[in-house]
Amino acid sequence: MEPLYFGSSQRPLYGVYHPAEGSEFRNEAIVFCCPFGQEYMRSHRAYRQLAHSLAKAGFHILRFDYSGTGDSSGDMEDFTALDWLEDIEQAINEIKDMTGTVNISLIGLRLGGLLAGMLSSRQKIHRLVLWDSINSGVDYIKELKFEIVSKKNIVDLDVDNYVDDEGSMFFNGFSFTPRFLKSIEQLSLFENTSCSNTLLQVVSHENQKSDQLKSKLIQHGNFDYIHAACPGDWNYVDEVGGMLLPQPVMRAIVNWLS
Amino acid sequence: MRERAVRVGSPAPLVGVISEPDDFQSLKPAVLILNSGLMHHIGTCRLSVKLARSLAHMGLMSIRFDFSSIGDSEPRRGSKTFQESAPLETIEVMDYLNEKRGIKQFILFGLCSGADVAYDTAILDSRVVGIAQIDPYCYRTPRYYLNHYRQKLFDINAWTNFISKKIQLLSKQINKKDEAFFEELTSYRIFPPLNDIAKGLNQLVDRRVRLNIMITGGEYHYNYSNQYRDSLKDKVNFRDLLTLNYYPESGHIITQPKYQKLVVNELTQWIDDMGKVIKE
Repeated sequence: MEPLYFGSSQRPLYGVYHPAEGSEFRNEAIVFCCPFGQEYMRSHRAYRQLAHSLAKAGFHILRFDYSGTGDSSGDMEDFTALDWLEDIEQAINEIKDMTGTVNISLIGLRLGGLLAGMLSSRQKIHRLVLWDSINSGVDYIKELKFEIVSKKNIVDLDVDNYVDDEGSMFFNGFSFTPRFLKSIEQLSLFENTSCSNTLLQVVSHENQKSDQLKSKLIQHGNFDYIHAACPGDWNYVDEVGGMLLPQPVMRAIVNWLS
Repeated sequence: MRERAVRVGSPAPLVGVISEPDDFQSLKPAVLILNSGLMHHIGTCRLSVKLARSLAHMGLMSIRFDFSSIGDSEPRRGSKTFQESAPLETIEVMDYLNEKRGIKQFILFGLCSGADVAYDTAILDSRVVGIAQIDPYCYRTPRYYLNHYRQKLFDINAWTNFISKKIQLLSKQINKKDEAFFEELTSYRIFPPLNDIAKGLNQLVDRRVRLNIMITGGEYHYNYSNQYRDSLKDKVNFRDLLTLNYYPESGHIITQPKYQKLVVNELTQWIDDMGKVIKE
């Protein structure tokens, strides 16, 4: 496991590279596209474990932080979702350079799923895994706003969630600028996921949104769907920063990719 | 300012990020930013990153890193508990900065379990010249109990909360199978006896280690500004070494943007001032 900064010197991105282990040469590298905010914090350990398992199975892995998030340069105010798509491209180039691998796959959780799906319409992606993915930017914003309204009157909740007069949204300790929100509204898996991909949709909870995405993606020739039941409350925030380790989903992803 | 990812120690290196100011000076103390619970080295709501960059703009180097088996650091073999291994790993990181960059003095910052490690390390290593702690060990006083029960007795919300928490507890018991999917610190935080902490603080005061204590509203053992001093009143004479702030409206993991800014500004200013005093 090797932590590194990559990308341009003006906009360095932090990542962790897990080199492929074992005797099986797969000629496939996987870039992990992370979710945002508390969802990113809550999934960090799961991503590390998944990266470890997949590296053991012979895949090169790069997980990284988008611009303005995690250890990467800048602040959220400086970037939009379109910059994050560029960051994923940067990560793909980096792992290609590091490993010489031609086949690049993407795994995306929640917002990371939406971004990974969007990117698959821009460039050739070998395999695409959408994990509890957001279907569209509009859905995502609606979901967060619903959470803000529904939890508004809960006493003892340590968060201060609101939309301010300028349109910035503050959610579970992270902020979205109006410019960022606008950029995310343009994203949708319904119009943009490439038909050339081999695709897996994996969900921890089946609901109306996951069914909608399934009925869209099922039109693809190479589509698999797995419901691996386990907790998937990514936006929950507690006072100790507890993490979620959805082992059934992680096992399903490793098995499908291997 | 530039940032570098580093691996410290062996056989399983600790992973961290060094934020280095353009005008780096090895005479100034470096700041070690410690993990809070299981949260990786970016800190709660990216607080550690914001603090590191703010310090770098004031000309101070810092490193934020993960203890073994937390965040990006691999687990290490052995039988040590977290309470035993974390201070030793902090010392390992100080040794690294001393060896690579010639830094001789260190300030430690931590929230919750990170605050405990900052204290434990400061006791062990005389290179530590200051510790900044959010929600450290703290102890109830008679005035705490008076405030607590007076408020609860006449507060309808307190009664409503009491009932809803009992219901939550019941539903948690019903959903026990879900616990397999969650990861929290396996070692629960236990406050040492007050006299032990007083003894340790006296050692630090004798060494002129400066203390910046911040207590949030998420710390349920605390309910008025000066409680920290009061609890140690007859046991520790802090002289001019203690800075104490109480933020009753801030949550324990400081999710509110207002308090994130406030904490970063307070710490940056305090550490910068400290650096100047030490230099003099």
